[in-house]
Amino acid sequence: MRLLLVEDDLSIQRFVERALLEAGYRVDATADAKSAEALALERVHDAFIVDLGLPDMDGLDLIARCRAQGNAAPVLILSARRSVDERVKGLEQGGDDYLTKPFALAELLARIRNLLRRSSASQKEPSRLEVADLQVDLIGREAKRGDRVLQLTPQEFSLLEYLCRNVGRVVTRTMILDHVWHMQFDPATNVVDVHIYRLRSKVDGDGCKPLIHTIRGVGYLLKYA
Amino acid sequence: MPENSRTTAAWRIALWTTLAFSVGTFVAFFIVYLLMAREFRARSDAWLTGEAQVLAQIAQHTPRDGLYDQIVEEVAELAMQEVPDERGSEGQRLNYVFFLRANPSGNGDILFVGPGSRDAFWRAIQRAHFVVGIPQSIRVEGWQPDFRVVVQAHEGGNPTYLGLSERGARHVLHTLMERFLWGWTGTVFLGFLISYLSTRRTLRRVERITETVARIGSEELDERLPEPAGSDEISRLAKTFNHMLERIQASVKQLRSVTDAVAHDLKSPVTSIRGTLESALSAENVEPWRDSVAQAIEGLDRMSALLNTTLDVAEAKAGALPMKRAAVDLPAAVTQLLHLYMPAMADRCHEVRTDLQSGVIVEADLGLINRSLSNLLENELVHLPPGCQIDIRLRSHQGYAELVIEDNGPGFPPEIGSRAFERFVKGMHSPGHGLGLAFVDAVAQAHGGTVKISDHPGGGATVSLLLPVNKMTLPAAVLKASVCS
Repeated sequence: MRLLLVEDDLSIQRFVERALLEAGYRVDATADAKSAEALALERVHDAFIVDLGLPDMDGLDLIARCRAQGNAAPVLILSARRSVDERVKGLEQGGDDYLTKPFALAELLARIRNLLRRSSASQKEPSRLEVADLQVDLIGREAKRGDRVLQLTPQEFSLLEYLCRNVGRVVTRTMILDHVWHMQFDPATNVVDVHIYRLRSKVDGDGCKPLIHTIRGVGYLLKYA
Repeated sequence: MPENSRTTAAWRIALWTTLAFSVGTFVAFFIVYLLMAREFRARSDAWLTGEAQVLAQIAQHTPRDGLYDQIVEEVAELAMQEVPDERGSEGQRLNYVFFLRANPSGNGDILFVGPGSRDAFWRAIQRAHFVVGIPQSIRVEGWQPDFRVVVQAHEGGNPTYLGLSERGARHVLHTLMERFLWGWTGTVFLGFLISYLSTRRTLRRVERITETVARIGSEELDERLPEPAGSDEISRLAKTFNHMLERIQASVKQLRSVTDAVAHDLKSPVTSIRGTLESALSAENVEPWRDSVAQAIEGLDRMSALLNTTLDVAEAKAGALPMKRAAVDLPAAVTQLLHLYMPAMADRCHEVRTDLQSGVIVEADLGLINRSLSNLLENELVHLPPGCQIDIRLRSHQGYAELVIEDNGPGFPPEIGSRAFERFVKGMHSPGHGLGLAFVDAVAQAHGGTVKISDHPGGGATVSLLLPVNKMTLPAAVLKASVCS
């Protein structure tokens, strides 16, 4: 998977590039629209990550030009402009997703994965998810740890489902709030954490090997280590 | 008078008004002058024509005998006496009249009564072309100004000329013109002076306003212009300026308090992040780094949340919140949000009781409503001591959806007073930034609603949020805040 990263702030460009490389992508990074356009013509990219405030051109114009040249790669827009209007405009003018600065790397990676999955041939929706001895039946909406059936509330089930779908990857509180409760805001209190603690006590209780891990400062991670 | 008085508006205004005044009065006088001149001429012409007719008739009816010439001459002499007499300043006669009766048959037989020599008049008459009965101006050598002359000729008779010099009329008009010019010059000068002085006086007041306003820098917003008692334009200008200064001072003050608060709220996380990272750097082992970095990220997240909220509240207060309105099922939205908050409430041992009237639909932006409601619920989480009771009621009432959140906690801290909805106003012991209720208030107002807070006599706080209900409720279009299943 090759990504094109267009970001004029070099410190941001460096850490995003490093994170993408560590996640196993190949990355072409550039700081201006002109060279980005040249790179896009030269190589095939699976997705673009474009900052809106570029020195030589507006990011939206760059996207429009690439689209005009028949380039259909999905685009993730990065921007410090945070108003809803800007977001809507970005998505209307050819962007596929929008992430405002500052952002958590975990969220950036999740959004890239989402874009790549969306653009590749639609995957078959699984009917059950399994992590070690945890089984999540998406149709029966029932979860089991080993032979033990977990007594989960509907929200706890959705939360577990979201963590399982992102097995091995860190998800932030905002991502959880967005995907499980369909709300977009940063809670100032520990409302999300309380749900995680409750879910963890049910999933990882009774001396089982813990699956749900807290990554301090970032969010949560479900993995079998 | 200042040195550069010619560049002042007072000078220019005085100059232009004087110019307009002088040209106007001059044109008006000139028209009067022309009308008078015409009137004078009409008067003398009428006299001439009448007199000439009389003379001609007498001449015709007088028998042509030896006495003929003598009689005519005497009649003419008598007529001369009737001339509209006007005399000059030294009493000398101004108007002259001549009478001339030609005899076409013989040059020598010309009857002339008048001043000076007969020949000069005869030559002048011969040069001119007369129409009978219509007065005409002719120039006679040695005489100034022209004579008005009329000719009368009866059948078979000789043409009779009667002439009148216009000196009298000319003299009157000339005197009039002279006096007017003197008066006019004086008036124009006086007008200029008055106009200049009064304009300068008025504009001095404007100048004083300019000086004061120029003196008022961003630091000296306390100064005000003196407000004259009257209500003329300049007093109103001063009052308007003072009003504007007051508003500027208020917003500058507000801006300062907001920036102070933001700076204060940003400085503490920056300090703690810096300290955490510095101590991590000086630690020997790698393991404490992880903890410090995590702490730093948490601090940064709090900072960015504060920035976002500050900007959101600023946008909301300015009425610039972009809203995507749709029909929102308010009880469903509240229930959905309570699903999120209930475990945290239970952790704090709060008992939450709900009484939500179903089917209350508001036309609103669901995202903003969710954030407002979550602000209210987070206030309950943060400020209540453990083990409180929270009642949440929703009613549709007189066109409004009324959401009441009532608790039996300590109530609002007294220092908040009536300023609970202002930015960065919070209780002394509050860990927040004082933006939550400000945001709720701004969102409520943006939706045409209101939010009110009150304390119970027996302790506890009440927040009630009023939002106008959707008049055209279409059940099919209702966006159910999907309850997680």
